Amino acid sequence: METALPEHITDFGAVAAERFAILGGPQAALLTESDRGLRRRAATALRELGAFDLDVRASTDELLAAAALCRAAGATLLPYPVVEELLAVDGAKLALIDPRAPRVDHGDLGESWRLADLDGTLYTVTMGSAVAGSGGHAKLGPFTVAAQNLQLAGAVPLSDVRLHLILTSWRLLGAVERAVQITSDHVQARTQFGKPLSDFQTVRFRMADTSVALRGLEELAKFTLSRWTAAPSAIGWTDAVMLKIQAADTSFTVMRTCHQLLGALGFCDESDISVIDRHIQPALRSPESAVALTVRLLPNLAAGDVQTLFSTPAAARS
Amino acid sequence: MDYDLGEAADNLRQRLRTLMATHLPPGFLGAFTDDPEDLATTQAFCKTLAAEGLLTLSWPTEYGGGGASVWEQTVLREEMWAHHEPRGAQYMGVNWVGPAIMRYGTAAQKEQHLTAISSGDVIWCQGFSEPEAGSDLASMRTRAVRDGDGWVVNGQKIWTSYASMASWCVLATATDPEDGGRGRHTLFLIPTDRAGITVRPIKSMLGPHHLNEVFLDNVRVTQAEVLGEVGGGWQVIRDALAFERVGIARYARCESLLERLRSELGDEFDDLPESLRVRWMRALIDLRVARLLAYRAVSLQNDAGATAAASSARIATTSCDQSVAELLFDVVGPAALDSGPDAHLDGAIDDHWRYAQAATVASGTIEVQRMLVAHAVLGGR
Repeated sequence: METALPEHITDFGAVAAERFAILGGPQAALLTESDRGLRRRAATALRELGAFDLDVRASTDELLAAAALCRAAGATLLPYPVVEELLAVDGAKLALIDPRAPRVDHGDLGESWRLADLDGTLYTVTMGSAVAGSGGHAKLGPFTVAAQNLQLAGAVPLSDVRLHLILTSWRLLGAVERAVQITSDHVQARTQFGKPLSDFQTVRFRMADTSVALRGLEELAKFTLSRWTAAPSAIGWTDAVMLKIQAADTSFTVMRTCHQLLGALGFCDESDISVIDRHIQPALRSPESAVALTVRLLPNLAAGDVQTLFSTPAAARS
Repeated sequence: MDYDLGEAADNLRQRLRTLMATHLPPGFLGAFTDDPEDLATTQAFCKTLAAEGLLTLSWPTEYGGGGASVWEQTVLREEMWAHHEPRGAQYMGVNWVGPAIMRYGTAAQKEQHLTAISSGDVIWCQGFSEPEAGSDLASMRTRAVRDGDGWVVNGQKIWTSYASMASWCVLATATDPEDGGRGRHTLFLIPTDRAGITVRPIKSMLGPHHLNEVFLDNVRVTQAEVLGEVGGGWQVIRDALAFERVGIARYARCESLLERLRSELGDEFDDLPESLRVRWMRALIDLRVARLLAYRAVSLQNDAGATAAASSARIATTSCDQSVAELLFDVVGPAALDSGPDAHLDGAIDDHWRYAQAATVASGTIEVQRMLVAHAVLGGR
């Protein structure tokens, strides 16, 4: 057993994070809300890193590199649909939607999109303008676009749907890791009642639980990648959905803690916590909520498709 | 990156399952039940494991062990706990007393104790916790005072698992630093039938035989019974705790119970309220995460972050233990209160719930685990 990412993948992730950080991190993402053209800089960085040449379907190594790239993009809050680009076919980015309320993060970026639901049904759509908000865009998910006029257009491989869920989870992992680092720095620097917040046991325990949740998500993300195969498989489906559920739930818990420990500062856009939380909302909630995803897995649960130490292998059941 | 435990570990898992299916009676719930046959079953099963070379699988070959990999040891932990720890009270001797004697014991102590442990002949208990020294073990008050060539021990231990059935005890005492030692704690390996030792069982929801008080009234101990150095007990205790650092594989029993209940329910599973099935699905995700955190702790056991990794795994798995206990009760309803062979899962739901209450207390409370993780994250205390 080897639970660590290969060294060359870790190195690639570090290089990607450094390159993205040059763009300015969450505060640059904040500026992009009012100057959407800045997303070109993110595209340039991705191109320089070879992201557009990665074929995530071709090899485990390229998939691992893609995961490291998504984690770095999350950690720097890169204002670009990285996962959707990595799964593009002939330049058409792949977004997962809920057809009842189709929303696409950065849907205004480029003309060519493929929109699919969790069943793999593909749709042609008309992209609308940015979802309206008080500043001309939504506060939560400021790059979100509503899609309209959905028309059935075939199907995408379910393996692509699974990959989307997995890579989105890696992006969320990077984002919440950054949020926890910010919060850790804050509670050690901020003094109240004559001592750092990090001296209060309630703060220490909350940070401990947050750390456990974060490491748990990281391990599940690595485990899920290590088992990934394009072959159709009920277990592969449950693996991917379980990871996305965990990524969303962990993110909710972690961001709640970050807000609480930063106090009022955490609500302010000058704090990266506010920007991170607002920008990851589409990834957290699309294509469906964590609870809806859990309900989706119930038939798989009943059928024994959720692999445990004691589940019966599918081959033995048939 | 590869999460495969390896062929040897997989083969061991199947071998253990076959052995348990052969040698354990249906509905076996461990040694600590009202049925004395269960205790006898664990003692016989330990002999079987010893004969198969599996009781001391984790020990180095030079001490008659199996020299197993950490992943085979992991499988052993998972399978034993999932099947209600059929090693019973042998668990403690095999898992840490033996390894501690290997590291700190004299030649005579190794000669006297290691073979007895590896053959499953002897039960050990650890006299650590005291009424005033639970999580704060360093503040123990049981005193060993020099008297001639040896010591005289007075004090009280509590929550001492297996003491009523153990024939030997690793006794932790406070000694005078002026006696020549470097610290104020000294460990002794003593027989439990020594004059001055009184064991009183404590009735608890965990079942009979489990918890005990041990009273030490002018108990004489010798230099030959010191484990390690006089005043060096704290180092031995720290190492002993490290042997057990990854902790019990509680996630394995939880996964086993949920799988068994799903099979028992059959088509009725789909009739459960959706909210319960959602909790069930959520529990399986949490259990997978807990298992992966345990594997991470095993992977990192020789690294600087080993303690925090193990504490993280313990926090995750003990929390799962309690939430699964509640889930099992909610699925089965009031019938979960039943115990005995006619109850759901042969009474394992009641048994699991009772034991789960101790999960966040035993072998280091969840608060201590949080302190250790917080120290790694934030530094300071």
